[in-house]
Amino acid sequence: MSTPKPEKELHLPLSRVKTIMKSSPDVDAVGPEPLYLVTKVTEIFVTDLAKRAFKNTKSNLLEYKHIAEIVQEDDTLDFLREIMPRKITVRQFKELMAKKAAKGNESDESSEESSEEDSSDESSSSTTNPDSQNS
Amino acid sequence: MAEKLEDLNLPLTVVTRIVKETLPDGVAISKEARTGLAKAASVFVLYVTSAATNIVKNNKRKALTGQDVLEAMADIEFDRFVEPLREALENYKQAVSAKKMASGKKKDDNDDVEMVEEDL
Repeated sequence: MSTPKPEKELHLPLSRVKTIMKSSPDVDAVGPEPLYLVTKVTEIFVTDLAKRAFKNTKSNLLEYKHIAEIVQEDDTLDFLREIMPRKITVRQFKELMAKKAAKGNESDESSEESSEEDSSDESSSSTTNPDSQNS
Repeated sequence: MAEKLEDLNLPLTVVTRIVKETLPDGVAISKEARTGLAKAASVFVLYVTSAATNIVKNNKRKALTGQDVLEAMADIEFDRFVEPLREALENYKQAVSAKKMASGKKKDDNDDVEMVEEDL
C-alpha cells in the first residue's frame, strides 16, 4: 500500500507464468501482452487475497486458516476450494455453523480458540448443531 | 516446457515478498500461509488462462490477446481487477512503443519480454 515503488515493475517471473499458462492444453503460444497481463493480474490477486485474509487476523500473524476462511466464504474463489480446504476441529466447525446461523442477529465474537489440528473435516457439512444459540 | 512439477508453481519466495510488501510492517506469515498463497496464485494463473482462452475459442480466433485477459476478468467475476489491469495494459503498451521507437524496427513476435528483476 505505502510502497513508493513504481507500479509497472513486475515481481513474478514471466517465464514461470508462461510455463504455467502453456501447461493448459488450449494454449500453444503466449504473446508478450497477454503474458504481462496475466502476470500482473496474478500479483493483484495474491495481494488482494492476502489483504482480505489479514483482516481476519487478530494478531500480527497471518495464518493458513485466515486465507482458507476467505476462500470458503467468497464464491468467486470457488476454484481454490479444493486446494485450500478449511482445516478445523469438529468442534470449531460446529461453532462456526452456529455462528453462521446466528448471522443477522447481533452476535459478538465468542471465544475462538486457535487450536489448530489437521483434521480437515469438511466432508460432514450437514448443519447439525446440537446447541442452538440460547435466546 | 514444464519438466519438473515445481515448474508449475510460482516461486514461494517471490510470492511471499509480494505479500509482505502489501501487508503492514511487522506482520508475520506462517509457513503454511505462504505455501497456500503461492499455490493459490499458481492456480489463479491457470484459472485466468482458461477463462481467456474460452473467449478466444468462442470468437473462433487463435491467438490470445491482452483484451481477452481483460474480458476474462468479468467472466470469472473479478470485475474489480479490470480497472487496475486496464491501467497496467496502457502503461505496458506505452513502454513497449517507447522501446520500439528507441530500437528502431524490432520484431513484434518476440515472445520473451525482458524484465529486470531484483534479487530473487
